[in-house]
Amino acid sequence: MEEIRTGVYICHCGSNIAGVVNVEEVARYVGTLPNVVVSRHYRYMCSDPGQDLIKKDIKELGINRVVVASCSPRMHEPTFRKAVEDGGLNPYLYEHANIREHCSWVHDDKKLATNKAKDLIRAAVMRVSHHEPLVIREVPLNPNVLVIGGGIAGMQAALDIANGQNKVYLVEREPSIGGHMAQLDRTFPTLDCSECILTPKMSDVGHHPFIELLAYSEVEEVSGSIGSFKVKVRKRARYVDENKCVGCGDCEEKCPRRTDSEFEMGLAKRGMAYIPFAQAIPNIATIDKREERLCKAACKEACPIRMNVLGYVSLIKEGRFREACEVMRRTNPLPAVCGRVCYAPCEEACNRGQFDEHIAIRGLKRFAVDYELKMGKHKAVPVERSKEEKVAIVGSGPSGLACAYDLVRQGYSVTVFESGPEAGGILRWGIPEYRLPKTVLANDIGHIQDLGVEIKVDTPVKRLGEIFDQGYKAIFMGTGAGMSQRMGIPGEDSPGVLHALDFLRQVNFGVKVDLGSKVAIIGGGNAAVDAARVAGRLGVEEVTVVYRRSRDEMPAIPSEIEEMEHEGAKIQFLAAPVKILSDNNRVRGIQCIRMEMGEPDASGRRRPVPVKGSEFTVEVDNVIMAIGQRVDKAMLPKELAYTDWGTLSVDPVTLQTNIDGVFAGGDVVSGPSDVIAAIAAGKRAACSIDAYLRGEELSVEEGGKVERLSEEEVTKVKERFASRNRVGVSKLKPETRVSGFEEVEHTYSPDEAQDEAGRCLASLVEGCFECGECKEVCEADAVDFDQTDQIIELEVGTIIVATGYDQFDPSVIPQYGYKKYDNVLTGLEFERLTCAAGPTEGKILLKDGREPESVAIVHCVGSRDQNYHEYCSRVCCMYGLKYAHLVRELTKADAYEFYIDMRCFGEGYEEFYKRLSEEGVNFIRGKVAKVTDEAITDEEKGKLIVVSEDTLLGKIVRVPVDMVILCSALEARSDADHVARLLSINRRTDGFFLERHVKLDPVATPTDGVFIAGCCEAPRDIPDTVAQAEAAAGKVLSLISKGTVTLEAAISTVDEAICHGCGRCEEICTFNAPKVAIKNGALVSSINEALCKGCGSCAVVCPTGAIAIRHFTQDEILAQVAALAEAC
Amino acid sequence: MLVAEFEPQIIAFCCNWCTYAAADLAGTARVHYPPNVRIVRVMCSGMVNPIYVLKAFEGGADGVLVAGCHLADCHYLDGPVKCDAMVDKLRKVLHVLGLEDERLRREMVSTSEGVLFARVIKEMVEQLKTIGPSPFKVKMEALA
Repeated sequence: MEEIRTGVYICHCGSNIAGVVNVEEVARYVGTLPNVVVSRHYRYMCSDPGQDLIKKDIKELGINRVVVASCSPRMHEPTFRKAVEDGGLNPYLYEHANIREHCSWVHDDKKLATNKAKDLIRAAVMRVSHHEPLVIREVPLNPNVLVIGGGIAGMQAALDIANGQNKVYLVEREPSIGGHMAQLDRTFPTLDCSECILTPKMSDVGHHPFIELLAYSEVEEVSGSIGSFKVKVRKRARYVDENKCVGCGDCEEKCPRRTDSEFEMGLAKRGMAYIPFAQAIPNIATIDKREERLCKAACKEACPIRMNVLGYVSLIKEGRFREACEVMRRTNPLPAVCGRVCYAPCEEACNRGQFDEHIAIRGLKRFAVDYELKMGKHKAVPVERSKEEKVAIVGSGPSGLACAYDLVRQGYSVTVFESGPEAGGILRWGIPEYRLPKTVLANDIGHIQDLGVEIKVDTPVKRLGEIFDQGYKAIFMGTGAGMSQRMGIPGEDSPGVLHALDFLRQVNFGVKVDLGSKVAIIGGGNAAVDAARVAGRLGVEEVTVVYRRSRDEMPAIPSEIEEMEHEGAKIQFLAAPVKILSDNNRVRGIQCIRMEMGEPDASGRRRPVPVKGSEFTVEVDNVIMAIGQRVDKAMLPKELAYTDWGTLSVDPVTLQTNIDGVFAGGDVVSGPSDVIAAIAAGKRAACSIDAYLRGEELSVEEGGKVERLSEEEVTKVKERFASRNRVGVSKLKPETRVSGFEEVEHTYSPDEAQDEAGRCLASLVEGCFECGECKEVCEADAVDFDQTDQIIELEVGTIIVATGYDQFDPSVIPQYGYKKYDNVLTGLEFERLTCAAGPTEGKILLKDGREPESVAIVHCVGSRDQNYHEYCSRVCCMYGLKYAHLVRELTKADAYEFYIDMRCFGEGYEEFYKRLSEEGVNFIRGKVAKVTDEAITDEEKGKLIVVSEDTLLGKIVRVPVDMVILCSALEARSDADHVARLLSINRRTDGFFLERHVKLDPVATPTDGVFIAGCCEAPRDIPDTVAQAEAAAGKVLSLISKGTVTLEAAISTVDEAICHGCGRCEEICTFNAPKVAIKNGALVSSINEALCKGCGSCAVVCPTGAIAIRHFTQDEILAQVAALAEAC
Repeated sequence: MLVAEFEPQIIAFCCNWCTYAAADLAGTARVHYPPNVRIVRVMCSGMVNPIYVLKAFEGGADGVLVAGCHLADCHYLDGPVKCDAMVDKLRKVLHVLGLEDERLRREMVSTSEGVLFARVIKEMVEQLKTIGPSPFKVKMEALA
């Protein structure tokens, strides 16, 4: 066996070690230890002469083991292994004792520290005797590089590496690269515009063939080691297809919800769909969706025309009333009408109804259009005609108008033919003024006309041919069902018997109708209720509604029935007229019979059955029949075909009639229905006509599915939000109502509307709530709410971390008044103010819009302050000077710099300081004590007073100013700890990442293959950041150019003579390195060296001791432990 | 004559990636702690063989610290789990041997927790001072 000859070298590290540890005494002591041939101490062992000592001793004294006692092996073990190797020994015949970080730097008792150093070196000496030469493995280095962080440091590093034609993955957390530098206005001391120098680089990064930009992404997991890291990146869902989005910004403009823009430091708003700033790279929108909507948007699904209720309600909530109208008009041609007379299936479906009360959607709709009308509606811009074909619409009721509206917006020339004197159809003549004022209807129709629809009144259409002859290529028949049904009872034709539609038409067109003091209305629909309420308004004393079923079956809108009763009308339920009684051509009453409810009929309602012998008489002067409406065939062209029910016969899908090019919809097809159903039919017909004219197949959209919240979902909502009932609207008192036709329901006030809209469950979640408005307006069809986060797996050889800094939040220093006073700003906020593309377009303005007369710039906010950060943030003096310059240049204001020391250390910096002194900036040396608005003199009134010591004058000063800019510290990212753990790198106590050596290895970290650059390492200015990024890139490029990395030789090995193949090693290994198999007739384990990471867990569980970890063998560690224990 | 205060001797097994680095960081940041600890560098806390701990006690150590990464930080993914399992078993053996539970301390100290490392050592030294020297050492000194 060879003789062990150990050389020991104790480093002074200047005075770092020798100042505490008595190195001479230690060297003397070590010289007495077994096997030690030579024991030396030297000032700097890591220097060349220090390393030469080792090489020389190997050659001259024949030493075959080496121990160096110096700093941490994590710092210089590789250095000395290299020296040992250069001296001709295997590098593993070396052991390192850490007597700096673990001894001289943490202990001040020299004697105890010296003793500890002796122990540590003795243990190393004992350990190294057992060391064996190991084979070093070289493996190829993956030339791909990961750069984390897309600020100026990350971009610069990525570009340098990619320019060498190496693949770079650049991962950026935000939607765009650019980092803080993109937010800066001008850069000191040259005052060149930050964007101008940055955006070309951003663009280079965006288009570089060797850079794969993963924006809006975060690194989730890093495993492996230098040469072959495996990285998992979470690419967050933008809900926008990156390949389709063209960055037009339409989605942001239309987004109903606004939030503070992070890029503008909260001084401006952005949409939930947004592009953070104009020069963003990638220039694509991101939808800021943070949680799932709490409701199922049942309102939208229940609406026959799928109005974007969520969208306009949210806009109302935000006070953007005109935009709310725009959203409504995108789908609905008659929002003011629907805001009053729609039966509002949306409200019935509203999921909030499961929680407390549904949202007053109809009332909100009405509010928005009323508000717009009140504030002065902008005239709609006519739609440019882009299609050659002309379309004729017959009838100007809701279906006809809807069809015209959709077609004109598609670029068709549209003419509406109306037989009556005014447009609107049943809306005009059938609905009483107190429910739908004529001005409101005229407003909606006016909008449609403004878009370019021509309405010809008093123009009945008798023959379809005459329209086609005029060059129209398609016709839509929306003529309604305007004829009253007859009941077929005796006396129906007596004078004094009226039909509801005729009655309403006469009243609406101002024809005087004479009624007696008692009137009966027969029927239970909306026409009956309207007729009853109108009759009351005409002075009838006793209004009785006779309905053959019970209240529950009444088809009229329940709230209308209720209002009718408030106005004094009575209802006779379960009664049907059998005969109208009249005397001398005057009605004197009706004979009725009692009904009872029988079996359900075809409509699902229970059929009323007469009760024999229950006849009774109601005395009345007039009878108004309101038992239904039908299509008036006499009014329609002869050639059209009809169904058995007397309605027009159409194809159920295309709505085309029996005549080519003639379509129909609304009541004329469905029989009497409601306004929104008619609008829906008109819109469907418009789609069909468009397809017909273009010769294309009609694509039919699936109808929406109205979903309800599950029990759990309701509970979840209840847990989060307090119950709050809907905001009521005021109404005319019933007494005053009946004296005229004034609208009964009042509209919401803006405050009430916003309050009510604020109840919408959809918009109670943070972020986007998927109202879908962006999807509707996106021409590129890029919005995709089904997108999910993607996990991308990368394989890289090296990693550069350039994650930047956070700005210190000065609100934690209450005496500076940040967030308390409006005009106390942080540095980054001021940057946005002076930026021409910023919220004030580059004007320095106070919150009230005035220009300041004086501005104070407070240095060292959160820096150089033992309460917050002890370090100097390095950039604040210079940017503070820049602010003073900008204040002087852009305003007439006085500028005051409150500084502790001016630190102007870079190229041109001192000169800039000198220039500022000459520009008339006031410099006050002293730390600011507080910023207050408590004035003690008249001069201070209405100002912010900066109270500070002036250390040059030796007194306290009070400076009244209008604006205070706090030069806030740069601090480590709030999640720096997470990043450090992810990459196994260290942080200093100040929170920033620790470099391998502060002077000599400033961009490397203790983890091989991981480098740091920019402000994540420490606060620094742009030139230093760029230099550091280039340094990191250089480090990476040199590794790539070498192409291989040396792997740790310290991995597992099996002594097959001892192993009996129990398989415990197989069970415990996380990397599947051991494998038990039959070898030479016996079960034994063997280690796959490519998989083994050297963690050593297999050796711990090995019952026979067959497994050893090279360089961490039991012999080696036990020798070390035993030697340490000697001290005990 | 004043009797010198008992100074407990601690042997610490620290994983290369976290706790050893934390001890380095304590040094770089000059966070002082008592000089009673001697660190043995291992690659992973899961590499610590119970024999090493027993050897330390046999040699007269008053306390042993086994420290490594937090679970989420482990360079080898699940070393801390393996280490915990080892320590649990080892405690039973120490109990049989009559060694107090406090003499073996298991900690997780990450790279950035230099201050925590110093605190752990301070606490351990104080605790061991209250329970006194290891019974092994006392017996051996009596035999000597």
